Parts: sequence; C-alpha cells; structure tokens
Amino acid sequence: MGISDVIPVPVAIDEEIEKWTIFGRPVAEVWFTTTEKIHQIIEMGPIKNIFNWGRKNSVYFLMQPMGCCGVEMFVFGAAPYDSDRFGCIPRNTPRQTDVMIISGYLTRKYLPVFKNLWEQMPEPKWCIAIGECAISGGPFYDSYNIIQNTGDYFPIDVFIPGCPPRPEQFLEGLINLQEKIKQRKDKRDY
Amino acid sequence: MTTASEVLSSIQSAFPGAVLDSRVESDRRLWATIDAKTILDVCKHLSSKLNFDHYSGAAGVDWIARKEMEVVEIMASHGAHQVVAMLKVKTHRESPSAKSLTGLYWNANWYEREIWEMLGINFEGHPELYPLLLSDGLMGAWPWRKDYKGYPDLTTGERAVAITTPEGYTEYRFPPTPAEIEAGTVVVERPKYPSFREREEKEIKSDSEMIMHLGPQHAMVPGPFLLDILVEGERVKKAFLDLGYIHKGIEKIMENRTWLQGITYTDRMCYVASLSNNECYCGAVEKILGLEVPERAQYIRVILEELSRIQSHLIGTGEFLTLIAGVGYAPWQYMIMDREKIISLIESVTGARLTHTFVRFGGVRNDLPEGFAEQCKKVLPYMKSRTEEFIELFAQDPIYHARMENIGSISPETGKRMGCSGPVLRATGVAYDMRKEDPILVYPDLDFKVITGTRGDSADRIDVRLREMLESIHIIEQCLDRIHSGPIKTEAKIPKKVPAGEAYYRVEDPRGEMGMYVISDGGDKPYRVKVRGPFYATFQTLTPLLEGVYIADAVAIAGSMDGCPSEADR
Ligand code: SF4
Repeated sequence: MGISDVIPVPVAIDEEIEKWTIFGRPVAEVWFTTTEKIHQIIEMGPIKNIFNWGRKNSVYFLMQPMGCCGVEMFVFGAAPYDSDRFGCIPRNTPRQTDVMIISGYLTRKYLPVFKNLWEQMPEPKWCIAIGECAISGGPFYDSYNIIQNTGDYFPIDVFIPGCPPRPEQFLEGLINLQEKIKQRKDKRDY
Repeated sequence: MTTASEVLSSIQSAFPGAVLDSRVESDRRLWATIDAKTILDVCKHLSSKLNFDHYSGAAGVDWIARKEMEVVEIMASHGAHQVVAMLKVKTHRESPSAKSLTGLYWNANWYEREIWEMLGINFEGHPELYPLLLSDGLMGAWPWRKDYKGYPDLTTGERAVAITTPEGYTEYRFPPTPAEIEAGTVVVERPKYPSFREREEKEIKSDSEMIMHLGPQHAMVPGPFLLDILVEGERVKKAFLDLGYIHKGIEKIMENRTWLQGITYTDRMCYVASLSNNECYCGAVEKILGLEVPERAQYIRVILEELSRIQSHLIGTGEFLTLIAGVGYAPWQYMIMDREKIISLIESVTGARLTHTFVRFGGVRNDLPEGFAEQCKKVLPYMKSRTEEFIELFAQDPIYHARMENIGSISPETGKRMGCSGPVLRATGVAYDMRKEDPILVYPDLDFKVITGTRGDSADRIDVRLREMLESIHIIEQCLDRIHSGPIKTEAKIPKKVPAGEAYYRVEDPRGEMGMYVISDGGDKPYRVKVRGPFYATFQTLTPLLEGVYIADAVAIAGSMDGCPSEADR
C-alpha cells in the first residue's frame, strides 16, 4: 500500500516517498499507516497494558438473572456487597456491558437467545459462569432441557463454583477476571 | 360447613354411577375417580351448587403399568368451605384424551396445555393447545411420560450444531444421531401447530399496529420470560406470554431422586421462597407417612417461613421499585440492605443464604442456634420501624399514587375466576390465605390478620405486601415467646421407602397458594410430584390484565405481580 491510500498526494510523490527508508524499513510502512496497523502496533506495545488497565476497571455486567444464582447477583450488584467499588456496575442492556454473567441454568430454549445477547455485546467482552448449573448442569445435569457444557458455547474466563456461590465468591471471581485482563491471559486475548 | 363426605354424597346423588371410586381422606380432602363422560357435568355441579369456585390446577399422571393416564383436577373454594376435591379422570395410554374444562374455568387453559405438551394427553375443546414450556425441538417427545428415554444425553454439549440464519444470528439445533433414530428415542413425528411468532403476527390487523418484545432479557423481567405486546399508538391491544426459558423439568427430575434428595429440588424451584417450598413437599410426604411433627419443630418452621416471607416481599417490592422510574433506584438498595439482615438471621439457622434444604420429614434439620431469639429481638423491631417507614413513604407520595392507583385493577370476582392467589388476590379484598384456609403447623394457635386491600391495583398489591411483613413480624414474635425446648425431629423412624399413597398439601407461599401433589408407589422415589405454584396462576392473569393499558403501565403492572418465572417454569 502507498501513502496515497492514506492521504491524498500526487502519485508521483507517492512513488518518491516509497523509496525512502528509515532504519532499513520503508518509511511508508512505519509512519503512514491505517487503523489496522495502529491496532497491530498497540497490540505489540506496552500501551496495551494501559488500555487493559482501563478495561479491567470498568467491567460492567449484564443484569440477567437466570436462576437462583441470579438473586445473589442482585445482591452482589446492590449496596451490601457493592460491586461498584471494583468498577463492576450492573447494566440492563447488553449494548453497554463488558461482562456476561451466566447466572444459572441454560436451557435449550434460552440458549439461542443468550447467544444473541452475547453477540450484541460490544468488544472487548468477557464471560463468567456462576454456579454449578452454568458449569456443568449442576443439580439438573440429567434434565431433558438443560445445556450442560456452557463452556462449549461461550469463552468462559472464570468459573465460580457453588450452589449458589456467596456474593463474596462473586467478588473473588471478579477480581480474578480483572487479574486475567491485566495479565492478558483471558480466553479471547485482549 | 361443607365436609368432604357431604360433597361426595351430593355428587353421587346428582350423578348416580359417575363416581367410580372414592376416598374421603379427612373433612378437607376428597379423592374421587369420575367417569370421563360426566366430568364436565360434575364440575358444573360442584361450581354452581357447592361453591367450588376455585380451580386450583390439574395434574397429569402416567400409570404405565396399568396402561392408562390420569388427569387430576384440583378443585377448592374461595373461603366458602375448606374441602379440596381431587377429581381423577382416566384415559387410555394409547391416544389419551380428556375433556377440557376451559369452558368452565378460565384458568384451566395453561394447566391443560402443560399436560398436553408433557404427557401428550389431548384435551377436547381446548381453544389453543400450543406448547407452553417446551421448545419446539422437544415437542412430541412427551418428556414426562414414564417411558421417555431421551434423558439425559439429548443435551450434552457436542450435540448442538450452530447454524447461521439468513439474518446473521446463530441458532442451535440438536440433530438426532442415526443410532438414536434406530433406537426410537427421538421424536420423528412432531405435532403440527403454528409457532408463537406466527400466532402473534396473526393478530396484527392494520398497519398502525406493531409488536413490541419485552424480554426474554429485559430490565423489567425478574427472570427470563417473553412478554410481547401488540400496540396501537400508546395502547396495548393484546399481550402474549411465552415462558419456559428456564424450564428445568424439576417434576421429572424429582421422580429420579430419592425422597430425601427431592427436598433440594424444591429449594431451587422458587429460590426466594425456598422454605415454603420445603415445607410444602415435606408436609405432603409427612401426610403419606402419617408423621407428627414435634411442637418445637413446628415453631421453628413457622419462624423461618415467616422470615423468608419478609425477605421475599422485600426483594419483590424492591424490584418493583427499580421498574417505576418515579421512585427510583435508592429504595431498592435500602430494601436489599434490610433483606441482608433477615438473610443472615435465616443463615444462622440453616447455614445457607438461599437454598436451605432445611425442613425434614417429621421435623427440621437442626435446632435454632444459641442467641437466636436475642438476635431476632434486635432485628425485628428494626424491621418493623423500617417497614412502617416504607408504608408511610408510599402512602405520602402523591406522584407514586398518581402513577400507580387504578393501574392494573382486578375486581374480586375476576381475581377469583382467574385463580390468582396471595397478595394479588388479597389486594382485591378477598381474604384468602392458606394459613387460615388450610391451616398447618401451629398457625391455628397464632394470632394474625389476613391483610386485604380494596382496589386491587398495583399500589394495593405493594401495600398488602408491606403490611403483610408487619403481620409476619408479629407472628415471629409470638412464636419466639411460645417456643419451648423439646425434640426437633419425630421419634418415629422414617423409612427409606414411602408406603404407596398420595397426598395434596397446601401452604401459603409469599406469592400465594402453593400446593404439591405427591404420589408414592411404595418405592424409594416419588412416583409423581406435581407442583401447583402460585406464580404460575398469577402469571396467567397477566395477559388479559394488560389489554387496553398504556405501554408505560405494562411494566408497572407486570412488576407489581412479584414474579418468579423460575417457579412458573419449574
Ligand atoms: S448453581 Fe444452584 S443456586 Fe445456582 S442456579 Fe444452579 S441450582 Fe440455582
């Protein structure tokens, strides 16, 4: 690609500049670049850590109570356990959230809907599975209507066991997720 | 007062030969097998002559050994008498069919639909026999039949195949494997019916109408369910409900667990009222076993159930407040904070925050901890003053009243006819409370009022809940004064195998009348457990209630019902 793709310059100059080099590499490659290139550079450099620091401190989650664990999720998001301290604020629409909490049993009827919700969330996004049901079907493992392996459908970063886990465990899971984001070890590699 | 034997003789004299088999369990329970041809007439007779104006539900039972199926109609009355009539209708297992009672009782609709989709019993004369809980993929498999085999391997992860639809969404299908088709464990022939989407789109009559989806994920819903409203301008013309998004098949699972393990599943049916659910299941089994519960255990149960009622009403009211922007978000936080106090009280006894599994057959799991009474005496006065504050707050606020009064009003007659119960029915002015109606445990000795409203609108429903909390506090205080030391479990040995028998037991759940119909065939597992949940019945009233209201009120009405879709879906 040439500079004329990025800024409107006469083709002649474009050809001229393309011959220039800097540190042995063509100038055009290093200095004039596209958004995609910028992203690649950010991906490589330490600036990504600053991005991830920001991301980790604003993990809004989708308020989507699905089962018994959903009630604990209410409490986790409200005053007594106050997830807001960690930048984790409940939102009601998937368009504004970063974290999907699978808070209960996923049924055959709900799975497509849930997948839509997940696809509606803007990148970057993470997923937490809460409770036995979300991990392996839990007490309903042999039901005709429950999906057992949610991990097959969603890239789950943190599993929080319990039936239901206590809100303190929710906090711990959240902190683990933040740690993962910081260390860039999350499943989707942000 | 009418008694069960009087009801039986009245049926027998009006329809000679209609009662094939009968059993009068007590003054309050009548079991009768009715000739399938006369069931409609018998029900008409019951409702017109004997005040059976409360159709409480229906259960389907698959008696595979006898090659027949049964539909059990549960009939009761709204306060005129306390008899519960369990009328059984038998049908052949090959092409089972029964007469629909929808013409007589409006609320039979959902119960019959459920029996149809789960057991495949066809209801003649039912206006809309469409699936209610199951997804289309499972229709025709009749999962509650005893010979259903696609269990559990239908749902393992690798089975689902992702398909991208033309609109760009991902959908999952569960194609059967060739081995399964050969073994005959998958459905090859499915019943034909219009889908939910087609049904609602048929109702669109002009260009000015459109359908709005509230759910399955929506800020309004306390759990996943789909509420579609057909709107014209600002008015809702018709509402459609689709549930089953968290249908777990608890009733079927309980058939595959031992009697004791079943208690854990009742917890997970409605997780904010798990103690009442425990009570209901254990009470039914105790009835079959003929167990007496020691007095101390009865008091402990009452104390915990009332505590659980308080926390349930707090979370229900709090949720409602988050929905009506007028009052805002702060009260929710306060209510949840207060709820934590109650939860920690319950937790100090049961060891769990939500899923207690505390009540046992013939007693409770463990005794009250040391210092429980003192702790209660600290928390309860606080709760009382807080509740009074909440009541006053609501009573004073003119904006709240302008917004909520006469919204979603139900008249007493409609409320009774639609089969709703609990605070929703009591708000209309009908004093129908299981604690008075079908008293269990030590409730008859306790002094408490049944709280009723006058208008039956959204504001009243909230008000009734809040005032009920005060009554609950009053009950707990009495219990704490009266409780003596003593055993907390019966002396009797509880057998692993429960003798053959059946029982129907009702308790007052925070949401209303909860009944469980438990059948034992003498094995170590229940033969059938049917749950008559309170919210299932209330849920059904939502669609007619929403007709003609403003869109903005739809949420306020649905929120004031204190929904628990998990219990409706089971
Ligand atoms: S893990 Fe337990 S508490 Fe959580 S949703 Fe499942 S059954 Fe309910």
